[in-house]
Amino acid sequence: MEIIKQNTKVIAKAVNVLKEGGLVIFPTETVYGIATDATNPKAIKKLNTYKKRPFGKPYSVAVSDTKMAEEYVNLNATARNIYKEFLPGPVTVVSYGKHKLAKGVESETGTLGIRISSHPLVGQIVKTIGVPITATSANASYMKRPYKISDVLDNISEKQKKLIDLIIDGGVLPHNEPSTVIDTTMDDPVVLRQGEIKFKDKNEILSRSEENTQNIAKELFQKYENYLGKRPIIFALIGEMGTGKTQFTKGLGKVLGIKEEIVSPTFNLVMEYGKLTHIDAWRLENPKELETLGFLKMIEDKNMVIAIEWADRVIEEIKNQREHAFIVWVKIKYLNTDNFRRISWDII
Amino acid sequence: MKILAIDTSCDETAVAVTENTKVLSNIIWSQASLHAKFGGVMPSLAQRMHEEHIDFVIKKALTSAQCLVPSVDAIAVTVGPGLAIALGVGINMAKKLAKKYHKPLIPVNHIEAHLLSPFARGNSVQRTAYSKNSSIPYNLSAIRYPALGLVISGGNTQLVLIKKIGDYKVLAETQDDALGEALDKAARMLGLGYPGGAILEKFARSAGSGQAKYNLPIPLTGDRIKNRFSYSGLKTAFVRLVEKEKPLTKEKICDLAASFQDVAFKHIENVLSYHINHLPLTINHLLLGGGVANNNLLRSKLRKLLKPYKISLHTPYTKKLCSDNAAMAGIAAYLKSLNEEFTGADKIDRNPNLKISE
Repeated sequence: MEIIKQNTKVIAKAVNVLKEGGLVIFPTETVYGIATDATNPKAIKKLNTYKKRPFGKPYSVAVSDTKMAEEYVNLNATARNIYKEFLPGPVTVVSYGKHKLAKGVESETGTLGIRISSHPLVGQIVKTIGVPITATSANASYMKRPYKISDVLDNISEKQKKLIDLIIDGGVLPHNEPSTVIDTTMDDPVVLRQGEIKFKDKNEILSRSEENTQNIAKELFQKYENYLGKRPIIFALIGEMGTGKTQFTKGLGKVLGIKEEIVSPTFNLVMEYGKLTHIDAWRLENPKELETLGFLKMIEDKNMVIAIEWADRVIEEIKNQREHAFIVWVKIKYLNTDNFRRISWDII
Repeated sequence: MKILAIDTSCDETAVAVTENTKVLSNIIWSQASLHAKFGGVMPSLAQRMHEEHIDFVIKKALTSAQCLVPSVDAIAVTVGPGLAIALGVGINMAKKLAKKYHKPLIPVNHIEAHLLSPFARGNSVQRTAYSKNSSIPYNLSAIRYPALGLVISGGNTQLVLIKKIGDYKVLAETQDDALGEALDKAARMLGLGYPGGAILEKFARSAGSGQAKYNLPIPLTGDRIKNRFSYSGLKTAFVRLVEKEKPLTKEKICDLAASFQDVAFKHIENVLSYHINHLPLTINHLLLGGGVANNNLLRSKLRKLLKPYKISLHTPYTKKLCSDNAAMAGIAAYLKSLNEEFTGADKIDRNPNLKISE
């Protein structure tokens, strides 16, 4: 591992390391990132080891400009507008990929997040090397956001340190938020992570009926289905009595092909339907009871979909599992009109 | 036939000793009793998981029945439906006892046990004590099949055709909330606590006119074939109504409780009368079981509905037999043992989603 200050020679050096499949830590306009050649499978494997990232969580990549982006992803009208308006800048735009990168960079469903950094260093490195480089943050998964080199080094093991080939020290970065991640693969763009640039969050849909609610569940499942198998998916349902949390779960049952009637688990606390587990936290007197219901055991099954009604009663217990499960927080609210509900969702 | 029966299907740890259809003892360790014992500290689910007090409850059931395990003829245990981890505790214990004392082990379906609970007979003392509010214990042979069965509790709402004991067809069941759950939740919305089905009934009884004052939608009136129950829509309508009526006065609470009960029961009546009218069979008996069977208004509404059809209503002889208990499991095990052979204790396993028919 070598640490060098930012200077004119740094680009050539970084490019050499990247060409050999090495890992380079570099400053960006948001946080310190870790780069490796996204077309090199060995390099990606090395990065996986460094990040300790659960396999199946895709990486976003940095390219130099829109033209280069189009070699690797299909840009629709929505994506083009965002590129035009916000790139280069702290926005990651997710599109369908063209499967030209090493395995594990694109998601299971073939989507890919692209960044065009406004930091001059990144742009020049990518331009010189001519292939996309990973643009993930330099911390190990779920650790502190790195704004200076010591934020990185103080939070990783010796083993991880050995995997780093080069560090470009750009000093202390302004504490900017990580990039905004926006998915353009659906009809409406969906904000997967809000960063410095705030997009109007469209993570909400109007439900006019029970059937609507079931259908929204189906669509949300399909949206995040790619995480299944790598991690279980938890739908943490929050909504007053009678808003349709069981209806939402019925929708999940439908998309999972469950033939049994899915009914309220209030009395039984837990209902198991093959790949779907349905929990009701309403009767729990103490949030810790979620664990005594076998919750930890349930999330060991990476293929399990877990719907938890009254998740607001066990928020911490669910949040504590965010490394082991993909969590979708779903809020259902009554609207003033008749039978309408607003369903909104969030992933952490 | 003397049976030691265990039911740990959900919240309650229940053990009973029965002899044929007679209940010798029926012990329930409920959250309510724990509550009293621990001076208001609510029990955690770990305690709900029964492990800590099942030994005690078994001992108490045996003592009250004045018998010992070696003198029972069989051990019965509820295997489902219910909460998996809870069911497991009872099943493990039953297996252990069956093995230790070389007794046959009889698996029981919790819903079937509710369904057959009207067959239970008390000892003579109990009979006097409860005769006022319950149907008189009758002879098994008095029931003619096919009969109808209605199981309504916190976890189940089912209308069943009983072709004979052990052979059932579900005519309608809930597709979302159980009736007992809906009543409990309505009570909660009115600030009456949870579970509050019984309190709701009390408040409803005090309602001024005795008539339902508020308009609530009767569930699924549009169903041409009435093969399901649903309480989620009514629950939602009630949430909105209660919000609108706030602040609540005692009078309003009584009226709201009465209106909710009325509509909730009307749904049961509608589905029931549909099947009575459409079944190509003559029905003379309806067995009613489950916690909501304790509701006197429901009982009288059902009697009124059944009278023109000359169908008699049979309810458990005591309220204790309605809510979750193990005596009903002992009765069901005995009735089934008349027709079935039970073998292979090893093969018995919990089945949280157990159905009453294929």
